[in-house]
Order: sequence, then structure tokens, then C-alpha cells
Amino acid sequence: MSEIVVGIADMKFSNNTNDVLVTYALGSCIAVAIYDPLVKVGGLLHFMLPDSTLDINKAKESPGMFADTGVKLLFKSCYTLGADKKRIITKVAGGASILDNTNYFRIGEKNIMALRKIFWKNNVFIDREDTGKNYNRTVRLEIAGGSVFVKSSEGFKCEL
Amino acid sequence: MIMMDKILKSIDHIPAFPITIMKVREMLRDEDYSVNAMVNLIKYDQAMAANIMKMGNSAYFGSRQRIGTLRDAVIYLGRNNLIRIVQTAGVSRFFKHKGRGYVEKANELWEHSVAVALMSQILSRKVLKGEDDKLYLAALLHDVGKTVMGEFVYDSFEEISRMVAEEGYSFLEAEKKVIGIDHAELGGKIAEKWNFPKEIVDALTYHHRPDYMEQNNNVTAWLVYLADQVCMLMGVTGGFDGLAHRGVSDVMHKFEFYEKDLEQGMITLTEDLEHAKDVLGIV
Repeated sequence: MSEIVVGIADMKFSNNTNDVLVTYALGSCIAVAIYDPLVKVGGLLHFMLPDSTLDINKAKESPGMFADTGVKLLFKSCYTLGADKKRIITKVAGGASILDNTNYFRIGEKNIMALRKIFWKNNVFIDREDTGKNYNRTVRLEIAGGSVFVKSSEGFKCEL
Repeated sequence: MIMMDKILKSIDHIPAFPITIMKVREMLRDEDYSVNAMVNLIKYDQAMAANIMKMGNSAYFGSRQRIGTLRDAVIYLGRNNLIRIVQTAGVSRFFKHKGRGYVEKANELWEHSVAVALMSQILSRKVLKGEDDKLYLAALLHDVGKTVMGEFVYDSFEEISRMVAEEGYSFLEAEKKVIGIDHAELGGKIAEKWNFPKEIVDALTYHHRPDYMEQNNNVTAWLVYLADQVCMLMGVTGGFDGLAHRGVSDVMHKFEFYEKDLEQGMITLTEDLEHAKDVLGIV
């Protein structure tokens, strides 16, 4: 099995059943894992910010940084390997915040809201999610069967 | 508390702060410092000189000339970069193989410290309209308490995590309750031992709670706090304490920051970290 690391503001996709896509240390950032079980194609995005209008040049150079440009890139990349939107399973994790995050830099929540809006507009249904709360997460997507595992910095691990 | 006495005793064994850093800072105050004198001063500290050579060509410090010798570094890096590279090279020694209890890998705490230092300069350019080497130093050192506390937190880790997960404590509050002192307070004590000015001592002591400071106008402390929070949110954390720290919303009004400013700061930090790979590699 080979592990392919998805960095911050990055996206990787694969149809090699030996691959495991993994992204470490999500804080307020969000990991979006999509998978088509029929053709065994999956992709993992680790985006940081809700909206590419903040810096359009940056979005061109690094589309995985923003929810809107990142999600588009993720789906389009998987389509090139034969994935079909009708079959795609979508799982989401991350978007954490610090404690008592009142009126101050709610970037995790903004990321979650932006993502929901994009999915809603494009008729994508979130099948599973583990978002919010106050800890870091590591997310793994196994291309062999599409399993997604989330490990928290507090130590517990679960399948999403 | 027995544990606390042990911890306070152990800071007596922490090595002295590199005198070269202080001397370089002093020398740089003079507009026409001599290149030879500066080279001689730095080369005396071999560990520091070696680190400077490793980082000298890092894109973060952005010299247009190739840095091949210490002399090149002194000539081509320019004043601002020179002081920052000297500080980074000297401080890294406290982050070697340390941090058990907070982190899985030894260099995680160093990576976090560098990220907070870089972020502090991004915020400083916005607030203070320029870079600030005192702020850079405070940011680089803000978690130095963790290098000593690590062993003790390791032994009490289960209890601290339980208090955070089940009883609503922040990680810092749980450290204080279980161990008798927290890593921020301990960092302040180390800075005192090193005879740092109060501004830096307070920046370390209050880096999670700047609102508890008596001298509320200590901009250094507030900016270290904010830089640390942004890095934690981005997932560049200094350990298992992760995001279990309190938000102090005053910080936004204090500097007239908007969320957009911080979002832009996050973008700049991803670029700076990319350019600073050699800096992360020195521990």
C-alpha cells in the first residue's frame, strides 16, 4: 500500500487500488473525500479558505486553497478517470475552531458553510461528516474500497 | 506541589541564552557596523554559524546573491534578515529533541515556533507597518516552556486530556490544575532567567491569555497570541493541545483586524512556509 500525502491547499486523486490518500493536521481547514465505488476512483482535497474571490490570482495558481475552486478541481479530476457524479460518495471532515470562538475569526464555521452552499447549488449530497469541535484531525481515504478514516488529536479513530 | 518544585529546579539546568544574539542586536544598532567585526562575532559561535550557512540561501531570506560564506551572509542578507537569521539559528538549539509529551515528532514544536514567528511578521507588517525583530524573537520562543514541561505533561497526559475532553478545561487550565504551573508561565520564568525585558517575558507568560496582562499595551504579547492562534487553526500546532485554547476576541478590535486580514495572512503564511523549508530543517 502506498501513502500519498495531500498537503494544505492541495488535492490528489487516484484509481490505483494500492493507494491511500492521507491529509494530516486539519484545524479549521476541511478535507473533502469523494469516491466512486464502481470504477474505484477517489480524490481528497484539503482546502483552507471559503472563497476564491479573496485572491483570484492565488486561486489560479493554487485552486485547492479555496472551497469553490478546490471542489471543482476535485470533481473534475475524478471525472477524468471515469467517476460519475451520480455514483460519487462524499465525506467531509474538519472545520474545527478554538474554544469560546465568539465573534472572532470563525474560519472553521465559514469553511463549513461555504462548502454546504457549493454542494447545495450543485446537487451534491454529503453522505458522512465529522466537522466542528475543537481538535485537529487526520483523514485517510483508501482507494481500494473507499473507506474514510478520521483520527483526532485527542486520540480516537473512527471510520466515517 | 512536588512536581512544580521539580520543574522550577529543572529550569536551572537550561543552557544560557546565546550571548551572540544579544551582541549582534547591539552591534546592529550602530548604522555602520563593521562587516569584519560582525563575522568574527558570529563565527565564534560555531553551531550558530553552521545554521546560518544552512539557511542562508533559503528563499525566505531572499538574498539575490548566493551565500557561500559567513561573510557573504553578513554582507548580502541585509540588516533585517541578518538579525532574524541569527535569532533563528541561535534559538533552534533549545528545540532539539525536545517536546515529549506535547508532540509525536521532535521537529513539530520547532515547525510551529517558526510558523508563529513568520506569522508574527505578517501581522506586524499590517499593524506596525514593518517587521519587528523583538516580536520575531518572542514569537520564536513563545512555547519554550514546552521543552521543559514535556516530560511532566507526558506523565499526566491522560488526566489533562480527560479534563479537556470532559470537563471543559482549556489545555492550559488543565496543565495548571494538574501540574501547578502551565507551559506559558514556565516560558516566562525561563525568559526571566535569561534576563529578557519585561515585554518579552510577558509575551511568553501571557501568550494564551493576553487579556490577563496588567500592561495591556504590550503589542508584542497580543501579536504573539494572535499569530499562535492563526497557526493553530491552520493545523500548524505545537502539539496535542491542538485547538484546546481560548479565543480572546478583544484582539480583533485592538488592531482593527477583520477576518479578511487574517485570511490573507493565512495565504501569505503558506507561501512563507514554503520558502522557509531550510529553516525548518535546522533542528
